[in-house]
Amino acid sequence: MSDRHSGRMNGHAIVHRILIDPTLGVLALLVIFAVGAAILLPVFYAGNNLLNLVGSSITVMILAIGVTVVLISGGIDLSVGAVMALSAGAAATSMRLGLPVFAAFGAAILVGILAGVVNGLLVTRVGLPDFIATLATLGFASGVLYIWTQGVPIIGYMTPEFRLVGGLQPVFGQVTLPMIIALALALIVGWVLSSTSLGTRYFAVGSNPVAARQSGIRVRWVKTQAYMLSGTCAAIAGIILAGRNNNVPADLGTGYEIQAISAAIIGGASLMGGRGRVLGAVLGAITLALAINIINLVGVPSSFQKIVIGAILLLAVFANFVSDRVRSAALRRRATHFSSNVA
Amino acid sequence: MADDPNLPSADVVPVLEARGVTKHYDGVTALDDAHLSVQRGEIHALLGGNGAGKSTLIGIISGANKADLGTILLDGEPITAAGPQATILAGVSTIYQELSLVPALSALDNIFLGRELHRRVLGISVVSDRRRMEETVRELASDFGIASHELHTPVSEFGALKKRSIEIVKALAFDPKVLILDEPTSGLEDAERVSLFEYMRTLRERNVGLVWVTHHLEELVGLADRATIFRDGRNAGTVEVANTSIDQFLTYMFGDQRDEFGAGDTRHLNRLTPLDDAPIVLSARGLNRGSVVRDVSFDVHEGEVIGLAGLAGAGRTEVVRTLMGLDRLTSGTIEVDGRRITPRSSTAAYRAGLAMLPEDRKQLGILADLSIAANISLSRLRTVTWARFWVSARRERALAERYRTRLGIKTPTVTARIGNLSGGNQQKAIVARCLNTSPRLLIFDEPTQGIDVSAKVDVHALIRHHAADGGAAILIASELEELLELSHRVLVLKKGRIVGEIRDIPKSIAAGHFAEIKSKVLALSAAGSAA
Repeated sequence: MSDRHSGRMNGHAIVHRILIDPTLGVLALLVIFAVGAAILLPVFYAGNNLLNLVGSSITVMILAIGVTVVLISGGIDLSVGAVMALSAGAAATSMRLGLPVFAAFGAAILVGILAGVVNGLLVTRVGLPDFIATLATLGFASGVLYIWTQGVPIIGYMTPEFRLVGGLQPVFGQVTLPMIIALALALIVGWVLSSTSLGTRYFAVGSNPVAARQSGIRVRWVKTQAYMLSGTCAAIAGIILAGRNNNVPADLGTGYEIQAISAAIIGGASLMGGRGRVLGAVLGAITLALAINIINLVGVPSSFQKIVIGAILLLAVFANFVSDRVRSAALRRRATHFSSNVA
Repeated sequence: MADDPNLPSADVVPVLEARGVTKHYDGVTALDDAHLSVQRGEIHALLGGNGAGKSTLIGIISGANKADLGTILLDGEPITAAGPQATILAGVSTIYQELSLVPALSALDNIFLGRELHRRVLGISVVSDRRRMEETVRELASDFGIASHELHTPVSEFGALKKRSIEIVKALAFDPKVLILDEPTSGLEDAERVSLFEYMRTLRERNVGLVWVTHHLEELVGLADRATIFRDGRNAGTVEVANTSIDQFLTYMFGDQRDEFGAGDTRHLNRLTPLDDAPIVLSARGLNRGSVVRDVSFDVHEGEVIGLAGLAGAGRTEVVRTLMGLDRLTSGTIEVDGRRITPRSSTAAYRAGLAMLPEDRKQLGILADLSIAANISLSRLRTVTWARFWVSARRERALAERYRTRLGIKTPTVTARIGNLSGGNQQKAIVARCLNTSPRLLIFDEPTQGIDVSAKVDVHALIRHHAADGGAAILIASELEELLELSHRVLVLKKGRIVGEIRDIPKSIAAGHFAEIKSKVLALSAAGSAA
C-alpha cells in the first residue's frame, strides 16, 4: 500500500518525508558514528569488535522494543531493568533447584508477565501515574532480587542451553541465538504495530484515550497489555543476560532502564504517546552501543558512558523537535493552499 | 411490551427510548427522571441551556456513562450490555462535540477504530484488511470530500473541517439505526453546515433516528421534526418544531430566568456615528508573518469593535496571535496609544495594554483545577499580593466577587473549581481575567463558541459595554450574524491579506441593510478583491 503512494510522491514530498521520519534521523546518526569511527579508529572494524558491539546491544534492544510499545500507548516503563534482573534471577534459581531448562525459561517469562500485570493494574486500576507505578515496581523487583540473593551473585546454573541462549556459542557462522531472538521479536512486534488491529489500539490509546474509549476500545486493558508485553521483553532480555553473564548479581539490571528508554526515544518514540517505531528502537539501541564502544576504544573512562548517553538523547530529542517544526510548517503551508483552493 | 403505560401514544415502537434516567455526580443531580423518545426517520432535537443535562443523557445513551436509574431501549428492547463498544454494535453512533479522533492514526484507521475488518492469516483474524476497509468507505468518504489517498493520511495533518467530516464518515460507516449529533456544526463554515444538514435529511429518508443537540435554535426550522427540551436535568417538554416559535423554545429552556437576560438587549449601546475621529488605540502597519499574515494594516479607535471576517484558514486568528506576541512577526510595526511595541511574548503584550480571550477555552483558556478566583487574579497577581509575593486569599476572593457581580458569573462560591462551571460561566471568568489587566484593547476570538443562548447574550453585552466605556476591541466570530451585530467595522481577510473593509455597520443595520452587508462579506471572503 505504501509503494502505491510513493509512486505518486514528487521530489519535494520525498525530502519532506525524510525530514519528518524519525527513523531516518537515527539512521543518519548511526551512519555518522560508524563512518566517523571507521576513519578515526582503525581498530573499529578489527577482529570481532563489530560482532561484540551487536551482541552487547541486544539486551537493550529487546528492552527498548517493549518500552516502545509502552511509550506508544502513552505510558512509560521504568521497571524494565529491574524486572529483567529479577527474571534472570528466577531462571538461574530454577536451574539451581534442579528444574529442567525450559521450566527455568518459563519461570523467567512468568515473572516478566506478572510484573507487567502489576504495572498495568497500578496504572489503570489504582490510578497511579505511569512514572510512579513503574518506579515502585522497579524498587520492588530489585528489592526482592536483593533479598533473594542476599547480595551474593547467583552462580552455578550454566548449561549448554544457557550458553546458547546467552550467545556465548554461535548457532551457525557468527550468528548467535540472541541475534535471532531479537530479530524475530522486532519483526513480530513491528508487524503487530503496523498491520494488526491490536497495534492500532496501542496508538489510539496513547494518542487520544478519550476518543479510543468512545470508539469502544477497552483503554485500561490495552494499556495493561502494553506493560505485559514490556515485561515479557524484559524477561527475554533477562534470560539472555543470565546466559551471557554466567552469574546473576543483585544489581544486574541497574541503569538498563535509562538505556532502553533512551534507545526508544532516539528511535522516534514520543513521551506524549501515539508515536514510535520498532525499527527506530532497534537502531537506537545499536547507536547507543556504538557510542559506548567508541568511548571504550578511545580509552575514555567508562564512567563517561552515562554522559554520552545523555548527550545522544538530547541530540535525538532535538532532532525530533526540528522535524516537528518542519512538519507543522509544511502543514500550515498546505492549510493556506487548501483554503485558496476552496475559494 | 405493547401495553406498557410508559410508551408514548405513537403507534410505532420508537427506535430509541430513554425512560426515567437519573444520574447524580458528587451529590449534584445532573438528570432527574429524564425521558426521550425518538422515532425512525425523525430528526429529534435535544435542547437546553448549559448544564441542563443534555450531554449527560447523551453520555448515558452512548454507553460512556452509567445511569443511576432508568433504562435505554433500542427498538423496544432494553440495551443490556454496557459500554461504548456494545452500544455502537447495537446500532447507536455518536458524533461528539469535541473532536474525538486519534491524531496519530490515519483517517481510515480512525473510521474503523474498534471495528476493524480483518483478513485471516493462519486461521486467525488479527491482520487489518486496510484494502477492504478502504473499499467499504471510499464512496461515503468522497461524499464528504475525503479523497481516497487522504484516507491514509494521519488525522493530525488535517484541519478542523476535514476532521469533522472524518468523524461524520466514522459515525455513518456502519449504517446506524440511531445517530446522535452533539453540536455537530461547531467549527463548521456555512457551506459545510448546509451539506451536513443535507446529509441529515438523507439519513432521515433512510429511516435513521437522529438525535441532534444544538445551541443554535435558528438551525432547527425546516430541519428538525420534534424537539425535547431539558431544564435543570428535567424534561421541560417535547414539541413539534413546526408549531413552536423561537420565543417559546426559550421559555421552555430557561423558564422564568428568561427575564434576567431578556432585558439584556444591549444593541442600543452600539454607536451609530463613525469613530474615525476618536483617538487611535491600536495601529498596525504592514504586519507580515510568512505566508499566513501578509501586509495587514489597520487602526482600532477608542470605543470601536473591529470584526475580522474570512473563511477558515484566512488568517484571522493568526493576525491577533501576532498582536499578542504568540507568533513572531516577520515584519511590521504595532503601536498602542502611539507608542511602538514589539510583542515578543504575551507578557509584553499584556503590559502594553492588550488582552486576549483565546479561541479554545478548554485547552488554552482555563486552568481547570484551580479556583475561579485564582483563574481571574492570574493575569495581574500583584493586585492581590502583599509585597508582590504573598498571595492574599482574601484579596483574591474580593477581586473575584467584584467580577462575579459585574459579569453575572453563576457559581455558589468563587473558591469553587473552575472546571465545574458551565462553558458560559467559564468564559465570563476568562473575560474577568482579561478585564483585570485594565486592557486598552481586548481581543475576542470566538467568544461564544459552545455556550448557551443566555450566556451568549451576556457575553455580547460585555463586549458592547467594554466598547461603550471607551475600550477598543477586535472580534473574531465564525457566525457572521454575530460578527455583524457586534462590530462597528469589519475587515475581510483572505489568504492572510485584508481584501475588503465594510464601514458604519451599526448605521447600515439600523437602516435595514443587514442582508446586503452579509452577502457583501461573504462575497469578499470567497472571491477576494473581485467583489
